[in-house]
Amino acid sequence: MKDVCIVGMGTTEFGVLDEGIKELGITAVARALRSCDVDREDVDALYLGNFVAGMLEGQETLAPLVADSVGLVGVPTMKTEGACASSGIAFRQAYQAIRTGVHDVVVVAGVERMTNAETPEFTRALGSAADHDTDGATGLTFPGFYGLVLNRYMHEYGATREQVAAVSVKNRRNGVSNPRARFRSPVTVEDVVDSRLVADPLRLYDCCPAADGGAAVVLASADVAQSFTNAPIPVLGSGHATGRSAAYRYDDLTTLEATSLAAEEAYGEAGISPSEVDVVELHDCFSAAEIGDSEDLGFFEKGEGAAAVAEGRTAVDGELPINPSGGLLAKGHPVGATGIGQVYEVCLQLLGEHENQVEGAEVGVAHNLGGSGAVSTVTVLGGPSHV
Amino acid sequence: MSESPPSFPAQRCADCGLRYGHGAHVCRQCGSEAFEDAPLSGEGTVYARTTIRIPGSDQQGEEPFEVAVVDVGGAESVRVTARIEENPGLGPDDPVEFVERRNGVFYFRAV
Ligand SMILES: [Zn+2]
Repeated sequence: MKDVCIVGMGTTEFGVLDEGIKELGITAVARALRSCDVDREDVDALYLGNFVAGMLEGQETLAPLVADSVGLVGVPTMKTEGACASSGIAFRQAYQAIRTGVHDVVVVAGVERMTNAETPEFTRALGSAADHDTDGATGLTFPGFYGLVLNRYMHEYGATREQVAAVSVKNRRNGVSNPRARFRSPVTVEDVVDSRLVADPLRLYDCCPAADGGAAVVLASADVAQSFTNAPIPVLGSGHATGRSAAYRYDDLTTLEATSLAAEEAYGEAGISPSEVDVVELHDCFSAAEIGDSEDLGFFEKGEGAAAVAEGRTAVDGELPINPSGGLLAKGHPVGATGIGQVYEVCLQLLGEHENQVEGAEVGVAHNLGGSGAVSTVTVLGGPSHV
Repeated sequence: MSESPPSFPAQRCADCGLRYGHGAHVCRQCGSEAFEDAPLSGEGTVYARTTIRIPGSDQQGEEPFEVAVVDVGGAESVRVTARIEENPGLGPDDPVEFVERRNGVFYFRAV
């Protein structure tokens, strides 16, 4: 098995953008290629994660269209889809291809355009990640799924609404200094608990905003990585797992096992325990999701995640900084771009170049989750000294 | 005197006996494609509940409405995703009873 490194990266802002879906992908890929000494002839393949371009923009065949537009001639391309984990899956496939010696250099992109859609169409498109026949038929939305999760979590563990709101407060505060974020203004606990109900007990400020955006990284085998950059970021471990297909399929709705299974695989490959992680970008599509994720990733005991946030333990200067980028709650959630966007933020941390830099960050985790906990990818990245 | 609710239309795998609330095409336990009706008591308990206030386009105008995960059938219970009729205050552990299946959706109400 070969070792794999990230040797280049590029992103657009996440927000309300004018560019079409293809242009967002082209921009992100072009920036990633420009960030390193990779020539177009060096690239063996391009994998692109996207969720609803077909439904909202009527544009499919995205991977080859983007590849051709940036001058990647003749290489194999593919689109991966797993709802909000679409580009986490693309990253995983590229990683596996390099690890097994099939390719040496693969460009991985994620892209989504969402803000041009009307709310019902947007909600319906997002809802297509749920099981049509069961959850979908009842009208359960994604905020609704996490409303169920939070309802049960508060019942079992006695977490308060205010503790849960602290997630949004922290992430919006972190987003203030991130130029890539859609929301760059802080909110208070009162703002969150007084905002309008979306799917009880979740309120508006518990929910991430839709966004448009693209992000890309260049992966290369460690054998050749040094020829493309003097600061390669090694991929220490990767995990990818399937979870439950609908709300009723969970024995325990407060644990989304796709995450814990993917994390177990990624930590095992990296040879680390959760306590050795210095910085985390995890899938906070809703405030309740961050709390559950932080437990499923092994950072806190079951039921302790809410108090940990409220006590400041996950702040940028806390014992385990979670979502110093502002997360999905502040950056926004361009669904197919989210996974690579998280990897981008972790890379900046490991290079010591983040706007909300975590002092001495040497091991970072990016966690991507799709559907009703149906699919998750977890990536463990190391600082350049780990190569 | 309260009448007992209608029975709940569960099924079971004809080969291994695994029970299903929502129908299945293939048994996830044994791979069989054969199922038989195995109705259960319509008495249930809420596991988790939410109120949808911003629906997708298929449910526009129905909001707000209640969606819950419900355990139904007593000792041999199956877990289903369902709608709760007109009881926004229900929460975990509250008793409910089956009303009917309409357009493929299970409806329950407070006891
Ligand atoms: Zn069976």
